[in-house]
Amino acid sequence: MEPTNPYETPQLSLRERFFKSWFPPAAVVGGVVTLVAAALRVRPEPRAQVAVPAAPGGAPAPPPGAEVPLERTYTLVATIGGQALSAFRESLLDVAVDSSDQVLALGDGHVRVFTAGGEPVRQWRAGDGAECLTVGPDGRVYVGGAGRVDVFESGGRPAGGFAFGDSAKPPSVSAIAVHEPDILVADATARIIRRFDAAGRQRNLIGDQGKTKTFMLPNGRLDVDVDAAGVVRATDTGRHQVTSWALDGTPIARFGKFGMQDPADFVGCCNPINVAATPDGKVVTSEKMVARVKVFEPDGRLLAVIGTEHFDPMCTQIHLAVDSKGRILAADPVRRRIQVFTPGAPGRPREVPS
Amino acid sequence: MIERSTRRQFLDRSCRLLGFVTIGGTAGLLARRAGANSVYQVDPNKCTSCDLCRTSCVLSLSAVKAVNDFAKCGYCMLCPAYMDVTSMPDERGIPTGRVCPQDALKRRVVGVEDKDDPNNNYYEYAIDEARCDGCGKCVKACLPPAGNGSLRLEIRYDRCVECNECAIQLACPDRAIIRLDLPGVAPESHHLGLSQ
Repeated sequence: MEPTNPYETPQLSLRERFFKSWFPPAAVVGGVVTLVAAALRVRPEPRAQVAVPAAPGGAPAPPPGAEVPLERTYTLVATIGGQALSAFRESLLDVAVDSSDQVLALGDGHVRVFTAGGEPVRQWRAGDGAECLTVGPDGRVYVGGAGRVDVFESGGRPAGGFAFGDSAKPPSVSAIAVHEPDILVADATARIIRRFDAAGRQRNLIGDQGKTKTFMLPNGRLDVDVDAAGVVRATDTGRHQVTSWALDGTPIARFGKFGMQDPADFVGCCNPINVAATPDGKVVTSEKMVARVKVFEPDGRLLAVIGTEHFDPMCTQIHLAVDSKGRILAADPVRRRIQVFTPGAPGRPREVPS
Repeated sequence: MIERSTRRQFLDRSCRLLGFVTIGGTAGLLARRAGANSVYQVDPNKCTSCDLCRTSCVLSLSAVKAVNDFAKCGYCMLCPAYMDVTSMPDERGIPTGRVCPQDALKRRVVGVEDKDDPNNNYYEYAIDEARCDGCGKCVKACLPPAGNGSLRLEIRYDRCVECNECAIQLACPDRAIIRLDLPGVAPESHHLGLSQ
């Protein structure tokens, strides 16, 4: 038998050479490339922006994944309160704007008046238990509290007022709005809006329609505002809707729904928490849980979002007012400051969730 | 002639005296504690619902339970302590997920139910204590600004076995387990649930 030479290279077939010499390093290289690619996670190209034209009577629903342009942006231009000398030391409960764009705020038990630029003008003591305020077209200031409304001249001199409800258990007045000669009072205890005349006589209720005959208010807050045309906007927080009413209580429209994805929806248990109307007929809302302010068309189409970076995340309310130039004043009661946002350039697109 | 004590004698007497004082003081404290009308309880202002109440209690099912303060509760349809609001919504837009892993938070409609539109209903939320393990997830979810903060954790006296050293108190990083005096209540009644 011929002895085998241990140093002689054995003759291998092509298949054997592939699996014994080429395949192992190729498999290792392939595995490394796969791991690197998985680590880098090569992202797909961003979707193209799709503009959805507005249709009269309501915009068509955008397809999932489409990007819808926000038509407005708002820029922070001023802050009243906060660290400034005019800081609200203990509380900031409401904000309003008069016809000359002076800013009125209810805080520390006082009504404080500022210029449009934020300079303090005057202040006077509000009544005990004051919770909200508004300004009439004639400059008179209306302060709502536990079951009563106090009226002040623009300089702060008392000019009357009226009480309503059970004096032993006065209702909570969470908001007040004026469309002369009517005074609209948000009665959060009865979950209804009461329309009074200047003498304090109740003329009718707003919001007593539907199956429940009241607004749904799990959080015990009801906000109301009225525009120059007499359209009343109110928050229906439990239904996650903004409602519109005529002054005589006739329902006009409502929009909004719960949702955690689409910024046009309202988050959490009970939102929107506050509402205001702009001079050009838009609707401004604020939310808690995700503290932000949004601007809508009256039909519910989202126009702009003022983001959470401006507000304390613990805000349970962001009080709103809009001046004659369309500037939004948002009062953050946690940081005790009023931020002024002015409309700016066209906004960036937003993506509708899939 | 006065006999002066040595240093060794002085140290011996001092140590004995210290020993007697220590033993007597400890006995007095224990006797006082045994006769006191106080119980362990959770301070809701300090509690952060960290989940240690569930895991630290010597009982297999913790003596700490969630309770709902109905006066503060908003009776929400979309209760953030009941529903996981970030979960996938159903066809009506209502989240399908639940916050409580034990399904211990129960709800029922207050008044006549509107089955067509649940947004027209108010719901009363109550804890099924046989299921609740005191994890505090619902308490955390109900905190403002998401909710009204009506839920809190509470040690149930009818379940607490009044350990000499409460295991939850030892574990609590927030020092939220306190001794609560119950004036005029006999200590035995704690175990009978009479103090509630």
